[in-house]
Amino acid sequence: MRFTIFQESRKGSRKVNQDRVAYTYGRDTLLLVVADGMGGHAGGEIAAQIAVRLFIERFQQEAKPVLKNPLKFLQDTLLRAHAALGSYANQFSMLETPRTTCVAVIVQAGHAYWAHVGDSRFYLFRQGGLIATTKDHSKVQYLVDQGVIGAHEVAEHPDRNKIFSCLGGLVDPVIDLSRRTPLRGGDILVLCTDGMWSVMPPSEIATYLTSTPILKTAPQMLREAEKRGGPDGDNLSLIAVRWGAETLAEESSSTITETMGLGEFQTELDKTVTLTDRKGTQRDLTDDEIERAIAEIQSTIQKFRR
Amino acid sequence: MPVTNQPLQGGYQLLNYRIDRQISRGGFSIVYRAFDEAGQPVAIKEYLPSSLVLRTEGDIVRASSAENLTSFRYGMKCFFEEGRALAKINHPNVVRVLNFFRANETVYMVMRYERGRTLQQQIQMKQDQMSERFVRHVFMHLLNGLREVHTHKILHLDIKPANIYLRTDGAPVLLDFGAARQTLTSNRPKLAPMYTPGFAAPEQYREPDRLGPWTDVYGIGASMFACLAAFAPQAADARVQEDHLVSAKKIWAGQYSDNVLEVIDWCLRLDPLERPQSVFALQKAIRDIAPRKRKLTFMGNLKRVLFTEIGA
Repeated sequence: MRFTIFQESRKGSRKVNQDRVAYTYGRDTLLLVVADGMGGHAGGEIAAQIAVRLFIERFQQEAKPVLKNPLKFLQDTLLRAHAALGSYANQFSMLETPRTTCVAVIVQAGHAYWAHVGDSRFYLFRQGGLIATTKDHSKVQYLVDQGVIGAHEVAEHPDRNKIFSCLGGLVDPVIDLSRRTPLRGGDILVLCTDGMWSVMPPSEIATYLTSTPILKTAPQMLREAEKRGGPDGDNLSLIAVRWGAETLAEESSSTITETMGLGEFQTELDKTVTLTDRKGTQRDLTDDEIERAIAEIQSTIQKFRR
Repeated sequence: MPVTNQPLQGGYQLLNYRIDRQISRGGFSIVYRAFDEAGQPVAIKEYLPSSLVLRTEGDIVRASSAENLTSFRYGMKCFFEEGRALAKINHPNVVRVLNFFRANETVYMVMRYERGRTLQQQIQMKQDQMSERFVRHVFMHLLNGLREVHTHKILHLDIKPANIYLRTDGAPVLLDFGAARQTLTSNRPKLAPMYTPGFAAPEQYREPDRLGPWTDVYGIGASMFACLAAFAPQAADARVQEDHLVSAKKIWAGQYSDNVLEVIDWCLRLDPLERPQSVFALQKAIRDIAPRKRKLTFMGNLKRVLFTEIGA
């Protein structure tokens, strides 16, 4: 496999980044995953973190060396993440189960497979055009389907944050699975959260990422999106992949997996680490860590309350 | 002119709590009395290390320099440690944490408000000596709380009469876990661990890796000593140089039972290994009302004989 990949998550104007992004690949298979945690305090962040980590762990257990059934893997993992969030809430006696959206993509043997829950999106661009996408599990998407509002009104709609399917919710998640979709060299795969797609239409994303090196333009695009978010800007996250051997002249570093050993994985998970992981080392606390520490103490207080 | 941090003013609304007045102020924090929505009093501790941050007016806390911001954030970890430690403990003899939150660019811990006075105040108020019955009562109950603390693998590390609260119903409550931290090391001089001379064990000064339940046991012994003497024993770092501490058994012979006096001396041994190694061992010793004569073992006896003969 050969591809170029970029991922980044930004806080926007929020205090806490509740988005999580990650990818991992072996010699013959690639996983991309994005989650957008919901709710106050650290709950959402924890949910997104749990979902993403579960994806990576299961992928590395099951991809030996490829997934037998990528779509089944996606569905099973989403369901397990949903269950894991429920038991996490139980374990820490949380009043509310932490919830998150999730979109995940597998690329294997030249084909892409994806699944999603909630309103984090996947776009597949070919030669600058959008050829496949996910359909949000949101109230506004429903209104669009019913012809009540137009697609262009989604980003501005007051109810645009209301989703009817998520991981960790009271009811089991609605999971949409894609078809097995063949990829061509030069295809652009994009996973993003609502903080990104609500401020930039797919056509503009395509313009940014087509025919220019994505490692150069993707960061510019993200900065622009963050700027557009303004003082109330949501967290925004993006994974962009240019698929295939055919590289642009200026594309500096693409990934070639043929040289990897069987059973070997490369993983890129966002760098934020929980307080407890870094016990004893001296460095600044980030805002995220402060929020998490407080949430942890509060849940302990709840747990030990008579 | 030295700049000091301004406390939040009475009447200030801090989330769901209304600040009433400042109760106490330490190097790392200010404690307020406040009222919750139901009008119940609570104690709120505000993280505000005086050497690092400034609040000359208003409510927002600002680091006094960029370098200090790093230390400020780092010290916040210790405040979290305290919160973590206390959140797990629900014991009548240990202060109870009710809430923990972030505001004004710093963090706050809400605790149950206790009515009464500290053992320190009690010592200062008392004209005549404290009765043995009172001392036994306070420390037996307090040790129940401390045992619970140690069960959670937490050391208090700042046990002293000022951190022992006597509720109006007579029950002691262990307060202020601000020192309950093992992560602070000397390479952050601005936030070096604090110890209270007289009550801190010798290993707290120089051997942080030798801290253990016996370290808190030293603080208990020193606090008991202070109840009888109305002053603290000689500071441990000075004792290591030249030990002037006269044993409790000598000072108060005949006024208190040998048992209590022996326990105090036992707790105040400089060598951590010679002190009671656990709170349970200490409680057992206090509970044994009959004064115990230490039986000399054969080896001990032999040693004594040898030393006498050598003239050591």
